[in-house]
Amino acid sequence: MNSLIYFQGVNFSYPNGTIALKEINLKINKGETMAIMGQNGAGKTTLIRMLNGLLRPNSGRVLIEGKDIIASTIGSLSKKVGIIFQNPMHQLFSNTVEEEIKFSLKSLDISKDEIEQRTNTILKEYGFERYASHSPMNLSGGESKKLALASIMCRDPDILVFDEPTLGQDANEINIFLNMLEKEYRKQKTIIMVTHNVEFAFEHVPRVVLMTGGRILADGPTNRILTNEMLVNRSSLILPQVSRLKLGLKSMGLEVPDNIIMKADMVKFLSNYFELQKMEEK
Amino acid sequence: MSLQFLNAFRFFKKNTLIHNLDPRAKLLFAIIYTINALMFNEIIPLFILFVSLIPLILIGRLFKLWFKSLRGMSFLFIIIILLNTLFLSLNFAIAMVLRISIMLSAFSIFFLTVDPNDLALSLISMKIPYEFAFSFSLAFRFVPTIAIEAQNIMDAQQSRGYEMQQKGIINQIKNLFPLLVPLIISSIKRAFNVAEALESRAFGSEQKRTYYFTIKYNAKDWVFTFYLLALLFFLILIRINLNYMPIWFNWSIPV
Repeated sequence: MNSLIYFQGVNFSYPNGTIALKEINLKINKGETMAIMGQNGAGKTTLIRMLNGLLRPNSGRVLIEGKDIIASTIGSLSKKVGIIFQNPMHQLFSNTVEEEIKFSLKSLDISKDEIEQRTNTILKEYGFERYASHSPMNLSGGESKKLALASIMCRDPDILVFDEPTLGQDANEINIFLNMLEKEYRKQKTIIMVTHNVEFAFEHVPRVVLMTGGRILADGPTNRILTNEMLVNRSSLILPQVSRLKLGLKSMGLEVPDNIIMKADMVKFLSNYFELQKMEEK
Repeated sequence: MSLQFLNAFRFFKKNTLIHNLDPRAKLLFAIIYTINALMFNEIIPLFILFVSLIPLILIGRLFKLWFKSLRGMSFLFIIIILLNTLFLSLNFAIAMVLRISIMLSAFSIFFLTVDPNDLALSLISMKIPYEFAFSFSLAFRFVPTIAIEAQNIMDAQQSRGYEMQQKGIINQIKNLFPLLVPLIISSIKRAFNVAEALESRAFGSEQKRTYYFTIKYNAKDWVFTFYLLALLFFLILIRINLNYMPIWFNWSIPV
């Protein structure tokens, strides 16, 4: 059992009595990229808040690198686990953009010169040089999301956790995010994201966990789970465009083979089909 | 969670005699108890005043929250005792702790049992302009919101490696300092947002407005008011004649 993260029969309810997690069992390996999906209130955010100890299970255990989170403080867990919150305003609190980055680095116990150097690198990398002395409160929605990301990424944690990373981002920003994900993936980072964005998860994330009512409904390869109509409906999601197109084509009487799952397959299939049609016309 | 003592000022709907009193009667109660507490420097009368609050707390089923509010202020009590004992006397220090406890408890009972909406209504009935009455009640409505905000900021700071010491009252106070600036900034920002939201819903566009609920001063409110005024009158008499009171009344800790 070499899982990096291991949820073992985890139960959790909030002080007001809301039961958020019921008997969660989940293993996540090092270097894996996965998405946690499900309707609002399914317990996704509660689940990821356990990864750095912000919440602790009522019963059951959460192990990170084989160690129970009960034994560690939030501060020390967040050296390994970086959580990027859904609402960037919950993550930003410093007076300037520069201080925001430095706050994350100061608790790492590194030299002043290194803090300066790493801050400058990050500011440049995320395009914040111009705003270094601005207040994070005055940044636009997209920019503040980027700064919240930068404030975690500068700590270089091994496990990256994103809560709704694509929410409120334009296409260009999503692309930048995607490039960053790929870079981190190559560095063998473990990436976990909570998202409602079916297309994004379908195209870019290999594993998905579906949650509903505090339980895990399904766990497996994205292309199998997100194309399963029953599972998708039960977790208030919609099928990816390709699957919907496939259903549409089928209802029009066009036989689409079952092995066509991804967008690229579909494009190839359709272009072949049109080619054939043209030849027949001739 | 170090901010739980803020709960002691948060209204929870309950059906008790105290909760059903008119908010104006309860405001009078908080004010008269504050005046009473300020009239005396002696331990015994302050202690009696303090004890006289306990039946009200029990009737209102507020004991847990009230106790939390006192515990939340324990740091202040320690400072008061230390400074007063150092520069004045232990006797005075204890009297001052009792005085603050009385004022805190009186206002705690007030805020725990008055619905913020009724509070606005009662202020309006006292001829205070609606804008002021509304902002006053809005301020109370935002206390729990700010507590949540503070919790969010603490979570964010810890998620970036800031170590918060868990144990000890001194450490808990220390934890609050890095919270202050971001909390103030976010509160101001929120205030602007709320103002915009209010104006976009035509707040203040008409001089007159409709009130859906009304408040009424009932017999029990008059009884309570009479009790408070009688208590005030009685204590003023005692204050004036303090020198003629029995010796135990002026008792102080022998040093």
